[in-house]
Amino acid sequence: MIRLTINNKQVTAKRGETVLEVAQREGIYIPTLCFHKDLSAYGGCRLCIVEVKGWPNPVTACTLPAEDGMIIKTDTPRLKELRTFSLQLILSEHPHACLICDREEECAQYQECIQKSSITFGCKFCSSNGDCELQDLIDRLGITEIPYEFRYRQLDVEKSDPFFERDYNLCVLCGRCIRACGEKRDAHILDFIHRGPQTLVGTAFGLTHLELGCQFCGACVDVCPTGALRERYSMWAGLPERSVRSTCALCSIGCSMQINVGAAGIINTIPDRDELCVRGRFGIAPIVHHPKRVTSPLLRKGKRLVQVSWQEALEYACAQLNKHQKKTGILFSPQLSIESIDAVVRLAGHLACHLTTSAVLAHDLKALNIKDIQDEAVFVFLNTDMIDYSPLFLKLRSRLKKRPMIITIDAVASKGAEKADVWLRPLVGKETQVLQYLFAQKEVRATDTVPRNISDARALCNGKHIYVFCTAQTGDIAVPKHVTKVPLTSMTNALTIRDMGIDTSPARVLNDKNVDCLYVLGAVPQLSRNYASVIVQNCFLPQFDFDVFLPTAVFAEVNGTVITIEGKKRKLRKAFEPVGNAKPDDWILTQMCTMLGCKKRRPASTHTKPRRARRPRQQRRSEAYPLQLVTRENAYVYRGHVLSSLMKGFDRLRLDRRAWVHARTAKKYGLKNDMKVDIIGHNVTMRMPVLVTDAVPENVVVIHHPSDGMVESQPVRLVCTE
Amino acid sequence: MRKKRRNRFRLDLLVCAGTGCVANGSFTIKAELEKEIARQHLASEVQVVTTGCQGFCERGPIVIVQPDGIFYQRVKKEHIPHLVEEHLLKGRPVKDLMYVPSPEAPPVSKMMDIGFFKHQRLIVLRNRGRLDPENIDEYIGFDGYQALEKAFTQMTPTEIIEEIKTSGLRGRGGAGFPTGRKWELCRASPGRVKYIVCNGDEGDPGAFMDRSVLEADPHAVIEGMAIGAKAIGAHQGFIYVRNEYPLAVKRIRIALAQAAAYGLLGEDILGTGFDFTIQVVRGSGAFVCGEETALLASIEGTVGRPRPRPPYPAKQGLWGQPTNINNVETWANVPVIVLRGARWFSSIGTKRSKGTKIFSLVGKINNTGLVEVPMGITLREIVYDIGGGIPGEKEFKAVQTGGPSGGCIPKNLLDLPIDYESLTNAGSMMGSGGMIVMDEETCMVDVARYFLNFTQQESCGLGQTAPNPVLTTLRYFRDEYEAHIKEKRCPALVCKALISYVIDPAACSGCTVCAKKCPSGAITGEPRKVHVIDQSKCTKCGICITVCPDKFRAVKKVSPARTET
Repeated sequence: MIRLTINNKQVTAKRGETVLEVAQREGIYIPTLCFHKDLSAYGGCRLCIVEVKGWPNPVTACTLPAEDGMIIKTDTPRLKELRTFSLQLILSEHPHACLICDREEECAQYQECIQKSSITFGCKFCSSNGDCELQDLIDRLGITEIPYEFRYRQLDVEKSDPFFERDYNLCVLCGRCIRACGEKRDAHILDFIHRGPQTLVGTAFGLTHLELGCQFCGACVDVCPTGALRERYSMWAGLPERSVRSTCALCSIGCSMQINVGAAGIINTIPDRDELCVRGRFGIAPIVHHPKRVTSPLLRKGKRLVQVSWQEALEYACAQLNKHQKKTGILFSPQLSIESIDAVVRLAGHLACHLTTSAVLAHDLKALNIKDIQDEAVFVFLNTDMIDYSPLFLKLRSRLKKRPMIITIDAVASKGAEKADVWLRPLVGKETQVLQYLFAQKEVRATDTVPRNISDARALCNGKHIYVFCTAQTGDIAVPKHVTKVPLTSMTNALTIRDMGIDTSPARVLNDKNVDCLYVLGAVPQLSRNYASVIVQNCFLPQFDFDVFLPTAVFAEVNGTVITIEGKKRKLRKAFEPVGNAKPDDWILTQMCTMLGCKKRRPASTHTKPRRARRPRQQRRSEAYPLQLVTRENAYVYRGHVLSSLMKGFDRLRLDRRAWVHARTAKKYGLKNDMKVDIIGHNVTMRMPVLVTDAVPENVVVIHHPSDGMVESQPVRLVCTE
Repeated sequence: MRKKRRNRFRLDLLVCAGTGCVANGSFTIKAELEKEIARQHLASEVQVVTTGCQGFCERGPIVIVQPDGIFYQRVKKEHIPHLVEEHLLKGRPVKDLMYVPSPEAPPVSKMMDIGFFKHQRLIVLRNRGRLDPENIDEYIGFDGYQALEKAFTQMTPTEIIEEIKTSGLRGRGGAGFPTGRKWELCRASPGRVKYIVCNGDEGDPGAFMDRSVLEADPHAVIEGMAIGAKAIGAHQGFIYVRNEYPLAVKRIRIALAQAAAYGLLGEDILGTGFDFTIQVVRGSGAFVCGEETALLASIEGTVGRPRPRPPYPAKQGLWGQPTNINNVETWANVPVIVLRGARWFSSIGTKRSKGTKIFSLVGKINNTGLVEVPMGITLREIVYDIGGGIPGEKEFKAVQTGGPSGGCIPKNLLDLPIDYESLTNAGSMMGSGGMIVMDEETCMVDVARYFLNFTQQESCGLGQTAPNPVLTTLRYFRDEYEAHIKEKRCPALVCKALISYVIDPAACSGCTVCAKKCPSGAITGEPRKVHVIDQSKCTKCGICITVCPDKFRAVKKVSPARTET
């Protein structure tokens, strides 16, 4: 136990605590700027200086380890003077006119609406007005003037990247974004560049964030004390009125998040206890308030779609279900709440109809227990992009003492593959073989099937705990006893689907000619035939024809539960009334159940037994189908719609609405970027634009389809449509 | 260890091959000497050897003839045949090549009679100018590596540390922290792996002490580091040399290879079972890398940026391990302390600053060069006895010590005895030993601006401390600042914005030389009529004042007072 005195108050400290930590714990205020509790101490802003008795000069409290017998003063006149001096110097390079203006009150009454200007030259024109640590510090330190000449950096606001923009004219060089990007997220995209007065925060070689593989997690934006880094979507929305703690349901990880709500609706979502990824951080609010979101029930009358009341829409839907009964096929996405899934199952049971869900699951999928992962670990990613699961891996990593080594086995390049310690790039279809070679007892040599760096990978595995992460797309793989297989899925509620034994082969239901009526909840399948009736329950219009559209609430607008990949129950909390006339899934289903007279209790078993996920048949290519189509799990989907189709930022980040082909393959077929092409296979016909990239091998076409198991990897041919 | 015998030759010619003299053509001198000596059939009697920096850089190229100690300066290729014939063959030293303290004074033939050398006390630079730094045998011939032998075979690590502590040696890099104490702290830090680092970044503008030591006597540093390693328990060392010192790097690498070949470095040194190797790391052009934590970051391969201290490197340095980092000059003191004893060392210097210090004496001084003097010597002795006074008989104004973070000492403090405390009390600091002499034509405000600009450009961009040059110049030369601010006048006639060039009509003869040379066409005038400078066109380049013939001296610099009323 360490005993020291701060401002004549006796306090105690633990070994390793800094004086700043002790002071904050004791409620003694010391001003800070570059300090952040989640990041390492930097000591750059010099605002937290304190006087230590016996030491000639003041020292920064954030870097000062508390020691027995220290006598500290935090608030002497000398310190006040030095702090004022330091802050004034910092502000001499930050547009500070409003900060020290004595007409602030009058201005507040007049100028509220003239906020958006292309140059931020004062608080009134800054998107962080009211949410800025410099404003807080000015008040606390009582600074009323800045006697230095103002130096405006005259930099263009960096707007070439999606999701957030960067105005380095406002940057105070606190370095928090750099530390957050490096220490918290291990991405290291940012650092200080140049020296002396030219010092700035920037990227390597001036490349854009997109080029450098930034994952747009928003950690930098969250720690920026000024308005230099700002989220585009919510920039001008103003300060939130309240925050609601909820869960992100965009993937299976189920990160805890805060929903900021204003008068007009949801402003944005920020991390709560967990780290978020680009989906949870930037993808939710724009969905809720999307201009293309349908918020009124629609009914087809003749050739037109007409807005109707809920009563009319529900009556029509129930009439159809009653009419077709057993010949109905219900296809739903697990990206609903558990309560909604229960209701669907109840309805299907009542109708005794086909029930299937759009999720490909590994048969050995089980709850991922983070505590099972041991130190001295090697993570092997098989055809899986680690970045898609980054919040999960951040959680795993924080528990381990040593950073786990990462091996990626993937024929397709990805940001996760580039970050790996060893990236084994096998031929398409030979991934599992390479995996076996990785663990083979005997010595392995490189051949045309076995990549050259196999020995590096094998060396990494020596004496370590090995975990193989794979998704269901890979199919069934066998691993030796000393290796642990960890099946992953990006689908929310996947464990519930498996526990309930719900069928997961939508293709079978869709191809069944006996099905006359289709009820699609939260999925957007490719339909290859006509139906007597189609009922759609979703937020956005599908590309196929339907009779009635039941608009649903987004998960941020409902109360409910989801089950995460760790098997944990997480609550969804309603932050705001559903936009327009949208209703929660479980409300809609409960209404229909009541109107159809369903029993309250769920029947003991469901209609069909679950199917074991088949290993994708290694069909051979032929002259008719000379290319190999590879379907990758797309973890950036909401209710069947790829996020890229809803938000431009995601489209630029993911490029997943195109068919990826190698340059030589493109040349062979006369294809150029963005040209539309038909992909034709045994059971696939798709048309999409092309992306020419060397991320994929030759003679391979990669698509990122929502994981609905409806398009399998298979031989195909390409037909240029232009 | 073999001792090379040198009395095989009747005469030894030591040609200075420090960077300054090399730039002035000393290798050409050497080649020419050898050619001439061969031609005169003297090759078996006379040897030509290149040595490290002699220190008297103002007068290079330098050739010293031993054993008589005859000192030749500003030697040119054309002088060689005459020199060889007269001195080497006929035994008559050449007066024209000797040093003259002033135009009327007689030439001084012996090196040790020259004021510049006479008043110095060479400890760190003991071997400069008397051995070939690329030949380890010569170093050994001058008691080299005997201290290493003593430390490794006759002393315990604690005894070595005690010796350094008792000697009172303080860090020569600038801060002056007691070296023995630092070693003790590092030794006491827990950790199996420890490192020794030599700071050869030498970023202060105008400083070249460390460069000279590394070029002239690299073994002294290596031996010091090995002794330090033994005392602390480190097995790996790094010499960090700034990128702009390629000759130093070359000489260190040769020295390291030779020492290793002799079993003085590497595994099982002198059969004691102790391993120690040294690696050279080159800097990349950043002043901030002279700061120890930034230097360590640079060695680690990350960007050279200072880290918060504590923890200090003695506890957590390179790669988190206890690291002892000392300046080049500090390391070079270690062997001589171990060999001759702490008591001897502490008999030199003042009460709290023991031993000697190397200063690079530059600026407005006659004898520019590198000097090593005992602590306690006065500034006056350095400037006048060693430095030979101010050129052109101008008035001494101030001397700036300690580099960009140091300060200016004015004339009334000339009798200040130099040591760490006295310099700090005067508002300056010892620093690494830069000593820039300024005369009446130096503007103190301009000096402050220069140093402020330097630190601003080289800083990591985030700190806000004002360097001493501003504070000391304000303290001692306030009147100059006031003249600049209140009267818009630069008394030293330096600051371009405040001076103007004018032609004195009484002195101008209309020779038209200046008008022809003026690059901006600002001077007008007919031949044999008084010329005039158009102030609106004048760029103050100073060409006119240079070309105006001495007999006229018609162009003058003025800085009239312009007070606002």
